[in-house]
Amino acid sequence: MSWYSDLPKFYQNQIKAMGLDDEGMSRRRLLKTAGAAAGAAAMSGLTFGRSARAASQMSYMCWEGYNDPRIIDPFKAANDVDIAFDLIVDSPGGFAKLQAGASREIDLVSSDMPWVTRMGPAGLALELNPDDYADVYATFYDQFKPPFEPLMSEGKTIGVATRWGWVGGCINTDITDPDTWRSYDPVFDAKNKDKICVMDWGDWPILPMALHAGIDPYQELDAAALEEVRKVLRAMFKNTRTLVADLTQAQKGLLDGSLLGCIGAGSYLTSAVRKQGHKNIIATVPDPKNGLKQGIIWVEATAIVKETDQPELAQKLLKHVVSKEAGHILSLLDTTCNVVTNKAVEALYTDEEKSILQTDYMWHAWDNSQMHRIAPNIDEMLAIWQEELAAAQ
Amino acid sequence: MAGEPILEIRDIRKNFGAYQALKGVSLSVQQGEFIALVGPSGCGKTTLLKQIAGFEEPDSGSLSIAGQPMLGVPAAARPTSMVFQKLALFPHMTVADNIGFPLKLRKVDPAIIAKRVEAMIELMQLKREYLTRYPRQLSGGEQQRVALARSMISEPKLLLLDEPLSALDVKLKKVLQAELKRLHRSVGVTFVHVTHDLEEAIMLADRICVMRSGEILQVGGPNDIYYRPADSFVAGFIGDTNLLAVTVKGNAVSAPGLTAADPTVPAQYVAPGLGDGPALLMVRPELITPLESGQVADFTIDVTITEIFCKGGTVQFRSNTEGGAPLIFELPGASKQPADIGDKLRLGFPKRDIYLFRERVAA
Amino acid sequence: MNGEIDRSWRDPELLVKALPSVILQTAFFLAPLLMTVALTFQRTKNFQLTWTWSLDTWTDIFTKPHYWTILGHTLFMAITCVILCLVIAFPVAYALATRLRAFQDHVKVLITFAFLTDATLKTFGWVLFLDKNGAANYLLQQVGFPPATIDILFTDWATMLGMVYNLLSFAIFTIYLSIDAIDRSLILAAYDAGASKFRTFWEVTLPLARPGIWAASVLIFLLAVGVFLEPKVLGGGKSPMSAELIRQTFETRVNWPLGAALTLVLMTVAVFVVLLFNRVYSLKRHMGPV
Repeated sequence: MSWYSDLPKFYQNQIKAMGLDDEGMSRRRLLKTAGAAAGAAAMSGLTFGRSARAASQMSYMCWEGYNDPRIIDPFKAANDVDIAFDLIVDSPGGFAKLQAGASREIDLVSSDMPWVTRMGPAGLALELNPDDYADVYATFYDQFKPPFEPLMSEGKTIGVATRWGWVGGCINTDITDPDTWRSYDPVFDAKNKDKICVMDWGDWPILPMALHAGIDPYQELDAAALEEVRKVLRAMFKNTRTLVADLTQAQKGLLDGSLLGCIGAGSYLTSAVRKQGHKNIIATVPDPKNGLKQGIIWVEATAIVKETDQPELAQKLLKHVVSKEAGHILSLLDTTCNVVTNKAVEALYTDEEKSILQTDYMWHAWDNSQMHRIAPNIDEMLAIWQEELAAAQ
Repeated sequence: MAGEPILEIRDIRKNFGAYQALKGVSLSVQQGEFIALVGPSGCGKTTLLKQIAGFEEPDSGSLSIAGQPMLGVPAAARPTSMVFQKLALFPHMTVADNIGFPLKLRKVDPAIIAKRVEAMIELMQLKREYLTRYPRQLSGGEQQRVALARSMISEPKLLLLDEPLSALDVKLKKVLQAELKRLHRSVGVTFVHVTHDLEEAIMLADRICVMRSGEILQVGGPNDIYYRPADSFVAGFIGDTNLLAVTVKGNAVSAPGLTAADPTVPAQYVAPGLGDGPALLMVRPELITPLESGQVADFTIDVTITEIFCKGGTVQFRSNTEGGAPLIFELPGASKQPADIGDKLRLGFPKRDIYLFRERVAA
Repeated sequence: MNGEIDRSWRDPELLVKALPSVILQTAFFLAPLLMTVALTFQRTKNFQLTWTWSLDTWTDIFTKPHYWTILGHTLFMAITCVILCLVIAFPVAYALATRLRAFQDHVKVLITFAFLTDATLKTFGWVLFLDKNGAANYLLQQVGFPPATIDILFTDWATMLGMVYNLLSFAIFTIYLSIDAIDRSLILAAYDAGASKFRTFWEVTLPLARPGIWAASVLIFLLAVGVFLEPKVLGGGKSPMSAELIRQTFETRVNWPLGAALTLVLMTVAVFVVLLFNRVYSLKRHMGPV
């Protein structure tokens, strides 16, 4: 199995001829290293300050935040390594990129958990032995300790969970009563017309709405269930003031009161505003409806790419990312603040930081939420989304 | 020249900032006249034309056409029509639409416009099939005729021509000059023609108005300008001529090398108001003849030939007088050549062919 | 003319000279286009491209009306944008080329700066300005209007405002150049022939500015058909246009065949509309053979 084995024979031959096949690429990698060495030799007489060549190089595909210098710089210094970043804009896009061949360059990936888990069957991830990570898991919350089923594929552990949060209603408690948001009903209330914000983040706004409609989007859906999803999206668009892809735009709308609530996001959206002192902006999770949990837990995870040429360094970096120190920084970024999987970090939080992260609420959210996975019918649901959006004009 | 002037300009001044383009110009033009405004570029001739057309308003003075005061009247309402230097044919209109444009604006019946356009085409000796073509499909000369046709179709009282021939080659220019003359005779409209080419003006115009630095230097018929220029500027403007520095005392002239049995010059050959002192004696090259020994003339002068040019019909000799002044004379090309380069020669010219004037006049 | 073309095709030297251009065109235009076409016949399943040859994507496109609703909306917005840009840009360009000659350089520099400023920045700027409690409403409230007088943010009106704002300078410059190129003596000739200022404008200036107006229309139309920032940011994403649909299909749905097919449909329709414009508004008829 290789990235091109699905292609017709003709293309495979072409790929081989161009030296883009596995063998060819390892030759290339060798040449690249040789070239870099030659370059380093050529430059040895010159000093470029900080940019003096490190002993080894790594590529890290991750969400913004994981590349924070406060996290990465100590690791670089301790291991004499240079790290190049490939920042993810959206999880499917990052996965598609890995599949399209970036897996030959990337050593480590930190992405949304379902996409990390998928790296297993796609043959992109190096299987982890939980025993190797016993030191890391020792201080983890029990919920994320192995065997952590969502990160396993066919019994194999694919990655280690890093950061997490919940998706529900994001509201401003000054203008709306949090108690009314114990369900998603306010989204559909006619008196909230033109006051609801929907995050334009692919499946994220669709999944909670499906749950509200009594559909579990993480199961295979039949035509009738998809029709229910269609109905609930249509009703949601009726009250929607704006679809927003930009975090700050939604935050501003919540703050100034022009938006009553945001759908399709949660702690990821509200925490940065809370860090700025606006404690009236909170992320809630609705109560279960007819036995169906309404909230969604998202988890980010880190996996080592199968083709990495630095497995030891990659493992070290993975362990570093979930360490107490790195976790503290990672959980309190300027753009977004989110709890992490390492319980030891909790000891480092001040009361203010705990309030920012809504730590008193996080297990309540956990208990009332579905674990986010890839919805089997997501493509149909996205198509329905597009149709209903076009019809809503 | 009797009758009411068709164009009366009095003391027009026009400044562009500190630059004085017209410094008080007065001119009167009679009905049916062909008058040429001549001068080097920057002399104010085109500016004067623009004041007449109404594209610009003078700072002071008065301007009337056919007795009607024109200042403040927009160009569109003046009974004038302009042929532009660049012709200004509308590129997006056919020849017929171009020519008929002024009538269309006057809401003339389209059928009548079509007839009038055809009549103009005929008058301009253009082919009928050109009517549906666009200006850029025509040659330079043909475009020129279309421009003339467009200007004349509205029967203006004054046709203003702003160097329309300057961009043409010499041969075409001659043809169109003849054409303009013919048109003027056959139509009888008053033409005001701006040109920097005095020869063209002399050939075409009834009267010539020579301008320099925003002032009129001299107004007169072609002969006046040619033989009795107001000053050396006008005299030199026409091309090769001889201007001998002389001294006037009483009525007599004297200059080094110049001999005369009777050096007095009759008043008719002297510029009005010329007193004693330095002056210029003009004699046109074609009026000077070489003298055989024993032959006499009113004035004689000895020269040495320095150069000989063949000018087609005539041969031009360049020579130096004993005083060192250059002197040019021309002989018919077919006649026996009297001398070669370096030869000494005695030249003569009659009193009636000279003109005495000041170096420079203040207009 | 025909003779020249024939000869050039047989001229080996000319062919060699044309080779780099042919290679570039093939490599950067034709080849990607063909790849796009090939892509539309593939399938995706669970965000993964599978290399098969099928008509699924095209069946989807021709059976689902919402793609066409969005396309129709896109064309409507683009054509409206063209009209608004022309209506606003023409007087500005005309004034620049005629009345404001004295300080046209300053105006041109200002427009260029506005033009060079990042469109994203400008678009978000408009959000802050138009917001219910944004700058515009604040100012209106100060002079006595009720709160939130301007409530167009997240509507097609706001999208249109952003599109016109971001594309206007293209129209102004294109039209300005065509008006500036009109020989001044043509205008004088029209006055001289007896035309009023309005008549001169109507009979001479406007027809001669037509190539510029035409070029501006085509340019604005093609740019407007491709906008995604304005409908997303100012229009609140509720009324997406084709470019956003394509982006969503590529990025969110990771359905490359569908995205490629939608791209081809948009390109074809845009070219078709331009040709249709061209037909209605034949340059040849107005300008004679060029």
